[in-house]
Amino acid sequence: MTATEFGIVYAVHIITSHFGSVASKVCECLLRRGPLSSREISRLAESDINHTKVKDILYLLIHHNCVQAFSIDPPDGSESKPTVQYIALFRNIIHGARYNKFSKVVNEELGSQCSGLLDGLLSNGRLTLEQLIDRDRDSKKPMGSEVIRDSLQKLVAARFIERVPSPEPVLGNKDEGPAQKKRGAKASKIFKEPESLEERILEAATPVDAIRFPFIFEQDSSSTVADDDSNIPEGKRKQPEVDYSSGPSNEVIWRPNFEELIRRLRHKACVEIVKERRDEGCANVMKAMLEVGRSQEKKAKTDKSVPMSMGSIYEELIKTDAGREMTQARVEACLEQLSATSSYLPAFVIESDDSYIVDFKSIISVAQKDEMESVVMRRYGKEAFRMFRYLSQEDRFVETDKIADAALTEKKDTPQILLKMWRDGYLHMQKLAVTGVYMPFLLWKVNKLIVSRQMLDEMYHASLNLSLRLTHEKDSEKELLLLPMEKLEGALKERRNKYRAKSVLLTSASFKLDDAILLFHDF
Amino acid sequence: MSKRKRPEPKSSSSGINEDEKNILGLIRSKQGMGATTYEMRTATKIQPTLVTRAVASLKKSNLIKEVPNMNNKGIKHFLAVEFQPCKELTGGDWYIDGALDVSKIEGLKEICVRILERLKSKVVTLDVIYSYFEKASSDADKLSREQTREILKNLVLDNVVMEVKSNGLTDFSATRIGEICYKLTGKKSGGGEVRDGGFASVPCGACPHIGLCTPDGVISPTTCVYFQKWLDF
Ligand code: SF4
Repeated sequence: MTATEFGIVYAVHIITSHFGSVASKVCECLLRRGPLSSREISRLAESDINHTKVKDILYLLIHHNCVQAFSIDPPDGSESKPTVQYIALFRNIIHGARYNKFSKVVNEELGSQCSGLLDGLLSNGRLTLEQLIDRDRDSKKPMGSEVIRDSLQKLVAARFIERVPSPEPVLGNKDEGPAQKKRGAKASKIFKEPESLEERILEAATPVDAIRFPFIFEQDSSSTVADDDSNIPEGKRKQPEVDYSSGPSNEVIWRPNFEELIRRLRHKACVEIVKERRDEGCANVMKAMLEVGRSQEKKAKTDKSVPMSMGSIYEELIKTDAGREMTQARVEACLEQLSATSSYLPAFVIESDDSYIVDFKSIISVAQKDEMESVVMRRYGKEAFRMFRYLSQEDRFVETDKIADAALTEKKDTPQILLKMWRDGYLHMQKLAVTGVYMPFLLWKVNKLIVSRQMLDEMYHASLNLSLRLTHEKDSEKELLLLPMEKLEGALKERRNKYRAKSVLLTSASFKLDDAILLFHDF
Repeated sequence: MSKRKRPEPKSSSSGINEDEKNILGLIRSKQGMGATTYEMRTATKIQPTLVTRAVASLKKSNLIKEVPNMNNKGIKHFLAVEFQPCKELTGGDWYIDGALDVSKIEGLKEICVRILERLKSKVVTLDVIYSYFEKASSDADKLSREQTREILKNLVLDNVVMEVKSNGLTDFSATRIGEICYKLTGKKSGGGEVRDGGFASVPCGACPHIGLCTPDGVISPTTCVYFQKWLDF
């Protein structure tokens, strides 16, 4: 899904708060106009930013994984040199507001030393082992270089961090544009869906797994920077336009691997969904299944897991305390429950030939549906809620009166309720003119894709609002916040406590709201 | 000298003229649905003014009545007095005097929920619930099988009840395989209370002005009353 209008506004807001307003101008220019060269940016960015400054900012944004450079091969036979272009990575920018979630994932799995290290990478963007050791040495409670090295190794093994991608991948020009369409219908069924430019760039920039997550990463002069070994053909390599050598030469530079971090959040969300809708036992089984299938997931947004046997699930399950309490018969009963369908829940697990497949898409869709329906309920009321549920269930155009009949709502009020939802983009409407009747019939439908997009845009908007409100609250108590807490008394103390309560509510609400955004955008 | 009147072709028996007779015939043939003046004009080819006059006269002689159409506001249907308006006109079983009988529906829904709560087997077929309404003591509480189904469907839309297909096992032992059964969604779904989504629980999720709200606009997060109320500690 491409960025929505408020998605862009929110992303720009995040960049502004992290890197200031000049950086946000450059970023906004890229987000709105798509890939550009540095010269184009300095020409097009709203305020005058000279070329050198643009390059500095691009370097900063690349360092923080918000922008990726690339170039496209000139057409065959052409003498012209490929120009370097830059693309803003919307997803990664939004990740900037959820670093604490990533940190928590790592803390739970690998402990605080590893999460501390990840925090360093999250706030610095990219670092070498040596830089990590330096940071540790300067900190209040140094862990020592051995611990750092160990933790780093654990993080790489769990794929929570990765070697930085190739600075400037070169894309071939052939597999682009209309040529792809000519392959015919038959071929297109075999080939994957055409990737977006962003996906192609990221794929080209990402080194193969052995380099991306090396087992041994001591200083090694031969294969250090990712692009040395990546798929860039000989002769295509050249000095990057911006200087990347932030660390001492020949040292591996590390960065957080958002793909894996998001995958873990996705898995956690799935377990939570199962726990809430089914029970603890089913959740444990789901957790084990996700663990079994994880290493074989190709991308974060996988629809279905690989098939797995009862044996492998049970084997994984008994590794945990909760799992050891379950008998095989109980696990079987849970699997049966997980594969059951009702009007309330779809099947979460697909059973086929004695093996089981996790249906991620169906699990996530349940949570998305709940999220949509709760908004409809809050904003438009109980009648609208029924109509919306009826229309989602029907998944086709239905006439106003039929909707009133099915939802048992007053016919006089039904059109107004439907119109309200339609005006806000939550329903799709079609007019049907019939001869002999002077009022056209109105037909309605829930288009899940359109609603998701609409909601996502509104959720970015709401995140922005929460953040702006928090800043506003902070600003209006600026002086009070400067005073030490223990010196406050009476009315001042009360005011300070009130401020605390407000900021806790705003922060926790935006944390939960971000869970919903993940659900619609990243899972 | 008296003015000569155009002689009205009075029908000997009922005292109505030829046009009125045609129109009344048409209306009677349409039974509970009746006819609109538009239909009368097209079907009988009588001039519009004469149709209006005939309809007025038939009404006056108490041969036809006027019924509004619930589905198409502003369109009047004329029925012969001996017929009751059909479902299409009244809006159906749940309407009385042109308005939806919400309190009756809600009452019936409550009864259904209580039945489902009381039944230990948890999974219940339509017929089981219908049997309760069938033998209801007062006529007002009696429901047809179809009406019972409608009430249950409505509870499903409310997310209070769920539909499950029987697989003949454990919970479903008293049912045929494939039969549709009903059961309470229970606390897990909030029992009809909608689970609070991350978006719905912030003011902006429920805000009717979100489309007009901008960072520095007239409606903005720094000035908005919804936030004010929400953050009022
Ligand atoms: S900030 Fe206030 S006005 Fe704006 S969308 Fe949120 S609740 Fe509505």
